[in-house]
Amino acid sequence: MNMKAEPLSSLGCYEEGMDWNPVEKVIFERRSIRSFRKEPLPDGMIRRILEAGRFAPSAGNMQPWRVIVVKSPGILAALERDAVRMAKLFMFFLDYTRGGTLRRLITKPLAKFFIRLLPNELHAVPFGLLSQIAQGKTPVFHGAPTLILLVEDRRGVSCPATDIGICGQNMVLAAHSLGAGACWIGLIKLCLYFPRWRRKFGIRRPYTLNDCLALGWQKPRADGPVPREVQLVEWYDGEIEDAPRIEKQGE
Amino acid sequence: MKRETYTLLDRLIIPDYDTPRGIRSGSLLIDPEKCRECGLCVRLCPGGCLYTERVSKNDLINGSAPEGKRGVPRLVATRRGTTLCIACFDCGTACPHGAITIEKNFNPTRYFKRLTQTSEMRYPRRY
Repeated sequence: MNMKAEPLSSLGCYEEGMDWNPVEKVIFERRSIRSFRKEPLPDGMIRRILEAGRFAPSAGNMQPWRVIVVKSPGILAALERDAVRMAKLFMFFLDYTRGGTLRRLITKPLAKFFIRLLPNELHAVPFGLLSQIAQGKTPVFHGAPTLILLVEDRRGVSCPATDIGICGQNMVLAAHSLGAGACWIGLIKLCLYFPRWRRKFGIRRPYTLNDCLALGWQKPRADGPVPREVQLVEWYDGEIEDAPRIEKQGE
Repeated sequence: MKRETYTLLDRLIIPDYDTPRGIRSGSLLIDPEKCRECGLCVRLCPGGCLYTERVSKNDLINGSAPEGKRGVPRLVATRRGTTLCIACFDCGTACPHGAITIEKNFNPTRYFKRLTQTSEMRYPRRY
């Protein structure tokens, strides 16, 4: 956090236009941190962050998560290497944004087919990122000294994926409030195409792994507020048959 | 104020990722007057989408970048003219000299069109 001496409101009260309270400050200044110091956080601090996850709300209090902390430099390097390998394999067949016309002719229809099959994994944003990773222009795990794998137990109540998100975000906010940095990384999925990583981490029924957190000391400190898109929010606050009033949130 | 509509045609068409017609990518204004060419933004860009004449993100991470002024950053662009920028502004927040502003936000078209986000960018507002 860029700790400027700014006034903060106290917790547990609201007045219109008041300063942020400490919780809001952490929420608004949290940036996904992708540049870390080499040395990991002390174990005590990691445990403190995990504790925030343990007390996250979950459907039916089923806590459908299994947490794996990876600190071993050997494993981290191997994960990075295999993720890059898989990104290169994917992009060899699918990246139509590079290379000549012939390459584009062949790979574009194939890419469009796979984008339809995996629209979330191959959305324009991760597609561009995978292309950069395959070209060796950016790393996958950002050299993070610690990864926290958030394994989901698919037998959870209602929608266990939501619970994983809540649990992880609790940890991320706790980490930032303690002066550390964290980043959600979904590309851990690349490693799971290798059976050896599935075996190693025990990712089989009833477990599934979609996301992990990179965790460490920020280098440089990059937390701070950013502008974001003004959003349209529907307010149903009239009569029962009235159409919603659409308000611009953030304007 | 109306929400964007999502038609059947939108659903059927996957946009081209490397043309401005398919992806209206983010764009940044980098003020060469204010920029001290420290390379911090290049190092922090999540996708490695910023580079300068002298350094790339991986040079800075590996420590193989030359010392001294790194050059004014630019956005990586595809051959057909779109950038990889998603206007996350990690670069601008970290910039010690306030040299970066967002010119345009990120919005794909068709299948991936954003429906409830407008193109206005605002800082958190104290309601």
